[in-house]
Amino acid sequence: MAFYAYKDYTEDQKVLEAMQSVMAGNLGLHWFNANTEKFKGHASDPNRGLTYDDLNHGTYGYSDLPEHLRTSQSMVARGSDKSGKLPDMGYVVNRKSDVWSDNVSELYEETKARRWAPATDIPWAALGEKPLSETIEIACAQLYTFLQECEAVSLDFPARWVALVNQDFIEQKSFMCGQMLDASRLLEVFRKRALYGGAGLKRANVNAEQGLKEWLWAETYPQGSLSINLALSGMLLAIFRHVAAFAPSVTDRAIMRKAMQDRGRWVSYGTGALRYHLEHQPGQRVALHEYLDESEHVMLGIIGSAEFLEPLIIIAGGGLDKDQVKTGRVAVAKLIKLMMREYFARLDYAGLGGRTERSRLPQVMERVQVA
Amino acid sequence: MAVSFPSTDYFEALKAQMVAAQEHFSRLGFIDTTFAVSVANNGKSHHYVLEFEVFELKNVSEVPAIDLKKVDFSIEGDTKVWREMIENIKRNGQADTHHDINTLAHFGEQLKIKYDDPDGHDKLYRFMESIQEFFDLSSKLEVSFN
Amino acid sequence: MAYLATHDYLEDKNFVDKWLYTMRTGEMDLSWMNAKTEKIMPRPQNARRGLTYRDLDVGSYGFTEVPEKVRDNRSYAPRGAEIPEGVPDAQPWVSRKSELWAFNTESYYEEAVSRQWNATTDIPWDRLEGVEMPEATGKALSQLMTFLTEVEMIATDTPAMWLPRLNPDFIEVKAFIASQAMDEARHAEVFRKRALTTGWGLMAASPMNEMALKHLRDADSFSEMSVALHLVAEGNVLTMFRFSEYLSPTDVDKKIFRLVMQDEARHVGYGMQHFKYVLENFPEKREVLHAHLDEAENISFAGAAATEVTESFIILAGGGMKKENIEEGIKVTTQFNLKQMHEHFERLEKCGMPERKDPKRSKLYAMFLQGKADAEAHGITF
Repeated sequence: MAFYAYKDYTEDQKVLEAMQSVMAGNLGLHWFNANTEKFKGHASDPNRGLTYDDLNHGTYGYSDLPEHLRTSQSMVARGSDKSGKLPDMGYVVNRKSDVWSDNVSELYEETKARRWAPATDIPWAALGEKPLSETIEIACAQLYTFLQECEAVSLDFPARWVALVNQDFIEQKSFMCGQMLDASRLLEVFRKRALYGGAGLKRANVNAEQGLKEWLWAETYPQGSLSINLALSGMLLAIFRHVAAFAPSVTDRAIMRKAMQDRGRWVSYGTGALRYHLEHQPGQRVALHEYLDESEHVMLGIIGSAEFLEPLIIIAGGGLDKDQVKTGRVAVAKLIKLMMREYFARLDYAGLGGRTERSRLPQVMERVQVA
Repeated sequence: MAVSFPSTDYFEALKAQMVAAQEHFSRLGFIDTTFAVSVANNGKSHHYVLEFEVFELKNVSEVPAIDLKKVDFSIEGDTKVWREMIENIKRNGQADTHHDINTLAHFGEQLKIKYDDPDGHDKLYRFMESIQEFFDLSSKLEVSFN
Repeated sequence: MAYLATHDYLEDKNFVDKWLYTMRTGEMDLSWMNAKTEKIMPRPQNARRGLTYRDLDVGSYGFTEVPEKVRDNRSYAPRGAEIPEGVPDAQPWVSRKSELWAFNTESYYEEAVSRQWNATTDIPWDRLEGVEMPEATGKALSQLMTFLTEVEMIATDTPAMWLPRLNPDFIEVKAFIASQAMDEARHAEVFRKRALTTGWGLMAASPMNEMALKHLRDADSFSEMSVALHLVAEGNVLTMFRFSEYLSPTDVDKKIFRLVMQDEARHVGYGMQHFKYVLENFPEKREVLHAHLDEAENISFAGAAATEVTESFIILAGGGMKKENIEEGIKVTTQFNLKQMHEHFERLEKCGMPERKDPKRSKLYAMFLQGKADAEAHGITF
């Protein structure tokens, strides 16, 4: 895999002479009159600061990026003066509509503005002062064990693709970097929470992991984004909202409030990216429907797994008594319906309508009953 | 002096509190959303549109009806629910788990979230902390209920 | 071509029936409650620092006890969890601790998270309004920024390429790489923004340095990648940031370089600690790393031939293009180049590779000695 330089530069006379010439005061200045657009950017809103949107101008901006990037395979900064022998970085994602979302620049700015630190921004001591009952704590530990698995996969997804995405999509790549930090921060806070309560981690979730690996290793970025940014993130967003609503402690509520903010951005990007993709590649509608026909089952793999379902029932119900379990089941049934409703609504909004009629999910979900 | 809920005065008072706590809200990050609040009472409703930008509430207006195409989402509920939330905030300094916006709206049973597009809906969660802390500023107000 | 889960859950009647039964009756499995895992109760050792990964370094959950070869876990299961049969293989390429570990990794990560800054709001961009620099200085600054924005993202792309290939048990290393990705995106952003606020726009790309980026990207192992990226390249860039802060024509530029050098120092810190760790714990790797350093140093030397960078540096350092400015600029740039090389070999020595400070071993070291002698002959010391 290693790349070796074209030559040994320490023995290249031309290179040595060029360096010596410059250091003797003979500046060539080939760059001085670079053939680039002259531009001075300003913050359009001083309160907001200087954003990427403020620099969305002419050859430097993203609006004028063509759909197909054929002339740029290096890391040269968009808009700079390209000359000389430039290497090929091997990007395989070179179509704007394969990665772009109209809100990606805004989401990147929001990611940075809404940063937080699990070590210090969560009121850990509150849980120490008011520990939960053993049953609830064990349920929390299992839930947070599962959530770490989800974040591990979520971390790998943008990491897997970022180096393969053309460097001209700098705003979108920057958002992917923000996603990596989001995922690692959420993994961190879930791990810390799982261990802080004293019950230890619990069991890994075979069904969830199998499904998550299937989603992670989708063949194309649009497919993977649909699965990870829209489907998985939509489910996780609903779960975070749910746990916040039934939070057994102030600590848990604080965690989930941060988590839903971070994950909300992923969902926004995923929905927006799908929408942009289908607007510019309408033929992909058929392909993505077929992809979902095959891959949607993962949602049930997650929802139906004991390691996911049972802790949520216990947390929502407040315990293992018959009445508590019934309350928990009622709440989880509502959560599942909410997840499905929002999933299909997002697909519809993004241009992949008709999914409810085509998908195998509704028939199974409709069979959920709570006696 | 007490502010009446619901009224534009109530939201303007929260706006003033938000300005006073600018440093804190800046640390929470950008909040860029326009949403509506609807308070129902015996078949009649009062509707307000709140425009947030960067770190502050830029504008509050009362409107005769909510146009979901012009807002990211709306939070709708009976005055009884809103009152209970505000009183809870006053008692505790912030809404407790049973009375925060997320819990009350989660299954749409006490507060309902309505929206025209899902992306607008998701802004409620992207800015949840700022939105909740905005309402939690009620703890600093004397509020009377119509 | 995609991976397929071992079940299609929607077609798995047993799975569906069991789930519906649980929901309907409330009869639950609950075996996960008795997972055979360790019980610990970590607490912040330092209340002001909060709850850190170091506080979680206990027993089977901690990083200290991760063995040299991770044999037990190749799945996405978090370290310390009970791992049942049937979890998938995450296909990690690196399950060997010495291939990626560094003392203090968890602290570098915690520091990164707490020291995130925002290129949009933490730089006083408004102070540039009305600032007019002479053409030479403005263009030179813009050229330097063009170079920096061009190279920064390699330190996102390259470690990120490795991230999904690292065994998930190395949580802290993966977290550190994620934080580095965000740091570098921020650097690319701030340098791009600065170039586009000079009034001159971006300037010329740097083909010589693009070749360096390609070398950094395509390494045969994580360790080789880290040595070339964190230690050599980022070490060089750290020296450049320090000099650039010194040369900054405005206080806004000074602030930019102060902030980026904090982040860069963390990356170099990880690089140094990893280098030390791999030499101590995987001694068979020494010659492999020597060979990679031969290549990395060759390319590092080639970077000095990227005249668009050298010349812009000279102009900034000297404050203009008159003869006396150029002379002063050459003097400072010479000091910078020598300092870069000196610090590079100092790091290698401190981390356990002193033998590289030998002109027979390292051609770059030979060039350094020659350059130092030439400089001293001209009255330039560093």
